[in-house]
Amino acid sequence: MDQDASNPTRPLLGRRQFLVNSGIGLGGIAIGQLLGARAAKPPFRPDIAPAKPYAARRSHHRPKAQQVLVIFCSGACSQIDTFDHKPELIRRHGQALPGADGLVTFQGKQGSLNRSPWAFRPYGQSGKFISDLVPQIGQMADELCFIHSLTGRTNTHGPGENFMCTGNTLEGFPSMGAWTSYALGSENDNLPAYVAIPDPRGMPQSSVNCWGAGFLPAAFQGTAFNAAKPIQNLARPDSISAGTDAATRAFLRRMNERHLRYYAGESELAARIASHELAARMQLSVPEVSDLSAEPAHLLRSYGADDSRNPLKAAFARNCILARRLVEQGVRFVQLFNGAYQTGGEGVSNWDGHKVLAEQYAKHGPVLDQPVAALLADMKQRGLLEQTLVVWCTEFGRMPTFQAGASGRDHNPDGFTAWLAGAGVKRGHTHGATDEFSYKAAEDVVTVHDFHATILHLLGLEHERLTFYHDGLERRLTDVEGEVIQGVLA
Amino acid sequence: MRIWLASVLLIPLAIQAGHWSLEPVRRPSLPALGQAQQPANPIDAFVLAKLAEAGLDPSRLAKRPVLIRRLHLILLGIHPSPAEVASFVNDSRPDAWERRVDRVLDDPRLGERWAQHWLDVIRYGETHGFETNRERPNAWPFRDWVVDAFNRDLPYDRFVRAQLAGDALGDGVGTGFLVAGPYDLVKSQDINLTLMQRQNELDGMISTTGTAFLGLTLGCARCHDHKFDPVSARDYYALQAVFAGVTHEERVVEQQTDPALVKEQAALVNRIDEAKKELARLEALVPRFKPPVNARGNEETFEPVRARFVRFNIARTNQSEPCVDELEIFPTDSGKNIALASAGAKATASGIYLDGGNPIHQLGHIHDGRYGNSQSWIANNDTEAWVQIELAKPTVIDRIQWARDREGRYSDRLAVDYTFDVATEPGQWQTVARSADRPKTGSEARTKIDHLLAHLTGGEAARAARLAKRLAKAEQRLTEIRAALRRTVYAGTFRQPEATHVLHRGDPLAKRDTVGPDGIHALGGALGLAADAPEQQRRLALAQWITAPDNPLAARVIVNRLWKHHFGTGLAATLNDLGANGVRPTHPELLDWLAAELVSSGWSLKRIHRLILTSRTWRQSSLPRSEALAVDGGSRWLWRFPPRRLEAEAIRDNILRAAGTLDTRMGGPGFSGFEVEEENVRHYHPKTAYGPGDWRRMLYMAKVRQEREATFGVFDCPDFNQTVPSRSRSTTPLQSLSLLNSQFVLQQAWQLAKRLRCEAGADPAAQVTRAWQLALGRKPTRDELSDASRLVAEQSLDAFCRALFNANEFLFLP
Repeated sequence: MDQDASNPTRPLLGRRQFLVNSGIGLGGIAIGQLLGARAAKPPFRPDIAPAKPYAARRSHHRPKAQQVLVIFCSGACSQIDTFDHKPELIRRHGQALPGADGLVTFQGKQGSLNRSPWAFRPYGQSGKFISDLVPQIGQMADELCFIHSLTGRTNTHGPGENFMCTGNTLEGFPSMGAWTSYALGSENDNLPAYVAIPDPRGMPQSSVNCWGAGFLPAAFQGTAFNAAKPIQNLARPDSISAGTDAATRAFLRRMNERHLRYYAGESELAARIASHELAARMQLSVPEVSDLSAEPAHLLRSYGADDSRNPLKAAFARNCILARRLVEQGVRFVQLFNGAYQTGGEGVSNWDGHKVLAEQYAKHGPVLDQPVAALLADMKQRGLLEQTLVVWCTEFGRMPTFQAGASGRDHNPDGFTAWLAGAGVKRGHTHGATDEFSYKAAEDVVTVHDFHATILHLLGLEHERLTFYHDGLERRLTDVEGEVIQGVLA
Repeated sequence: MRIWLASVLLIPLAIQAGHWSLEPVRRPSLPALGQAQQPANPIDAFVLAKLAEAGLDPSRLAKRPVLIRRLHLILLGIHPSPAEVASFVNDSRPDAWERRVDRVLDDPRLGERWAQHWLDVIRYGETHGFETNRERPNAWPFRDWVVDAFNRDLPYDRFVRAQLAGDALGDGVGTGFLVAGPYDLVKSQDINLTLMQRQNELDGMISTTGTAFLGLTLGCARCHDHKFDPVSARDYYALQAVFAGVTHEERVVEQQTDPALVKEQAALVNRIDEAKKELARLEALVPRFKPPVNARGNEETFEPVRARFVRFNIARTNQSEPCVDELEIFPTDSGKNIALASAGAKATASGIYLDGGNPIHQLGHIHDGRYGNSQSWIANNDTEAWVQIELAKPTVIDRIQWARDREGRYSDRLAVDYTFDVATEPGQWQTVARSADRPKTGSEARTKIDHLLAHLTGGEAARAARLAKRLAKAEQRLTEIRAALRRTVYAGTFRQPEATHVLHRGDPLAKRDTVGPDGIHALGGALGLAADAPEQQRRLALAQWITAPDNPLAARVIVNRLWKHHFGTGLAATLNDLGANGVRPTHPELLDWLAAELVSSGWSLKRIHRLILTSRTWRQSSLPRSEALAVDGGSRWLWRFPPRRLEAEAIRDNILRAAGTLDTRMGGPGFSGFEVEEENVRHYHPKTAYGPGDWRRMLYMAKVRQEREATFGVFDCPDFNQTVPSRSRSTTPLQSLSLLNSQFVLQQAWQLAKRLRCEAGADPAAQVTRAWQLALGRKPTRDELSDASRLVAEQSLDAFCRALFNANEFLFLP
């Protein structure tokens, strides 16, 4: 199929119809001219039937990972207080950051170097130093593949979340999950190919743009729900019997098909018919997958989902269990959020610790730690890590200094941490490093585009060939950049 | 909390001289066409020429029932009634279409439809956004203003000017534009952050002005890491100086729209003055009257006394800790309140409610010049509280005014047992006024006039009674007129700003050179203003530059927007960006021809609508042709009319319209789509039950930022935080679930069923036929009739109506 897609003589019906569906369509360039264009690497064009947009599709090469689970910490989780251990920073605590006289970062001037309020200790065979803020994740260190040398392009949250989720700092570009479900469809016909699980406290800064479809067909946007907040209007109303409901839907389908005869080839209409079918299947599958009552008590306990003293942790833990259940069901891409902006600004309900980092992180750490550690352990135990790539990331890092006149860290996109686990990546490994203070990436420096290229690679997708024509360009998740980070591949 | 760092992230103007959109608009000549091509008007000539280049033929004209449905949906957002369809279909006059177009252009529902398009662009919302997301209850007059502007075809240049400087043009509601966006009510203690918030507010005004009117990115790019560019920074801060005096606030707007009322108002003011003077002469003959303490306002008058300190000692209230919204002190020789902080006075008090923990009840509010509960002081104890004003210098005073809540919403926390003491030196208190001199609240309500009449006799008493009656009548009428002429609108307030500085790397504390107000020099936008030009003049000058006939941007931008809402895509697809990052137009000559036409017609938008609607291009069929679809799947060359799904508002409005439940009342405060949990931080929960109060057009559903309404929000409704020039058009299972299962739709399906029984009787075939006419504007085919009648007979009429609201034909613009 991929060979076919690269052949310009092939009638690219599916793709063309999706150009219609994309809402904006062609930016003034005749399609004939477009198709004649030769790129260095011919675009991969998934063959998508408008009525079955979520059917599973083949990748470019043999994938290491079938599915992806992203854990996204909104607010810019500090690498210095979690995973990037810097003995020199501890030694030089209270001194000025060398070479940074008069440095002004996002919110203003910098104070002196500040070590983390949490001690670091080594874990596992790898001896990875991890902070006491996330000790249970530390216990999983031998499963994790750290990248300490990530660099971003912006030090503002919204654009930063956009960049990490969509490869573009502006809003309106397709998210990683949208690209993935566009390319690969799903292994499950009854659930959306792509599910976003918002934090119990609300939405991330960039809200739905984090799982948006951008200019890709809207069918590939993430469907958002979590363990506490189900999809609205999912259930058949009590006042309507199952028989009446079925007869009504059958009539609706006939009516829409008669209408489609006049509009033959109109993919937006066909897609709406298909969306009714998926909706009907979701009515059965979503309550089933969201119902955690069948999970045994010991499992709820292992995640912290029964922690009555920390209801926020319990709520996030339930989202973690939901994430595992979705992966188990074959959902292609799951994006699990930790931290929100809707219910509290700077640092209150997210990782944006500018002013009182120790106090705020002391609340956020336990919410993240046990549930995520348990999620990893649970997935490992079920064999899910063999086919699933787990990604932990955040929009950018934080400064090794405290802000002038404050007890927290400002934004820093020049060197920050993410980790991978599971299918296709090294275990108990560290790739790249920041300088001695964790101020700037120094060794094996990588970009967010490289990070994305690597995730696509693991899914069997060539990031340079996964493109979509929009506004005069063959757009990619990785823009015109990105190299697969070979050093993390198993 | 969103923090945009304005100038660190400044993007140099993404446009260069010589870029197409900056070239003067020249009316292009019409392209030569082949004989077979039949333009109905110049629009067609441009479109046909491009079609020929692409090797495409236009489609045949759509049938009349399709045309009238399309016309009503695009212009009014509401489908035509069966009678309207029939009358157009049967109109055999040669100009039947033009007549129909004119009629629809005069329909006031047009404003309701097109206002929403504009409100999307300027991110108009009816809550403040950010974490508290409080309501903005007086935003709606601006929404009504936009509706009305489109309906009366307010020339577009005036429409623009009124939004930037309507206060200077007798059209003050228009400045709601300046403050349409989100506003962070929570101010930080951190001066840097507070200043940054202000920078963000101003950036919102600048960037929205740029994108909405000029199609240019003028503000900061949220994510750009271009190096600081001193030239563009200067331009940017000069623009900031234009808006620097604008504050997010409500304002009482005088609307000088009815000259007769304005004249009557002036006459009444005179009559009232005279009557009061007469009465004052009579009052001088009787002992002084003091009314009972009143929550809305009290005046204490006393013999002139020299004072440095004035202390309000509150021994007791009617309930809870005392609240005072403003304490005003007047010197003997002037009517100027000298208690104001801005006059140099200082306030101290026995305590502050919650130790200052509630931002609306602060000590500073007692002399900030602002009235009402939300800017008031509350003490922290119920009894023996006090608040003191230390004047800037010892002054002879004879009058004090104070109130619990001059806005009249609250009457608890009222001081009922108190004294006012004054001193020139600390501690040497002298009581000048006391509650004991007033009748008790709630005792027989003695008015000033009762008091006067009780003390006068004979002719004087009769004259006083006559005067009082005349005065009451005049005052009542004046109140009515003022209400008609004045409105409190969330339209911003204006003050002469401090000097604006270039900020080094955007740091509000790193001020560099001062800059005066100015436009964008790179675009020829020098405004020629003095550095200290009056605030209003700054905005007016910018508005005049934007709408100058030789500014090519304003006209191109708006005709492109109009085109988009007719054909689904702009001639230039990036509606907010005609700059270097935007997409070039598909039909540049047509865009220019329309722009020239707009300016030469006196900026009449209806004129452009009419040109578009009477073109053959617009009247084409939307049916696909496989050979054309293969070449131009997006229909950008307009070989057909591009069909598409309707927006959320149109879907909701048309469901109500078909069901016969649509409440067509225009204007006024909106309704809520949510149950609102009224905590400090507002929570908006989806409604679970709906009634007739919810059945107005969706334009009138209060626009809550960050929240999407439960049923229709999934149809790509914006969240009113960012400009949305073109809504996305998604197809998702969530939409299907909303339209099939939501309480709102089920209730309307039931209402439609009720209507069908009433209008078509009990026969399923008649019911189905009527339903088809009401919802789809046509008769059902034989297949459709039998299939639907069977559903009605075997299941129910309700079930059929539920399906009908989900039909693609119902949801799509044909």
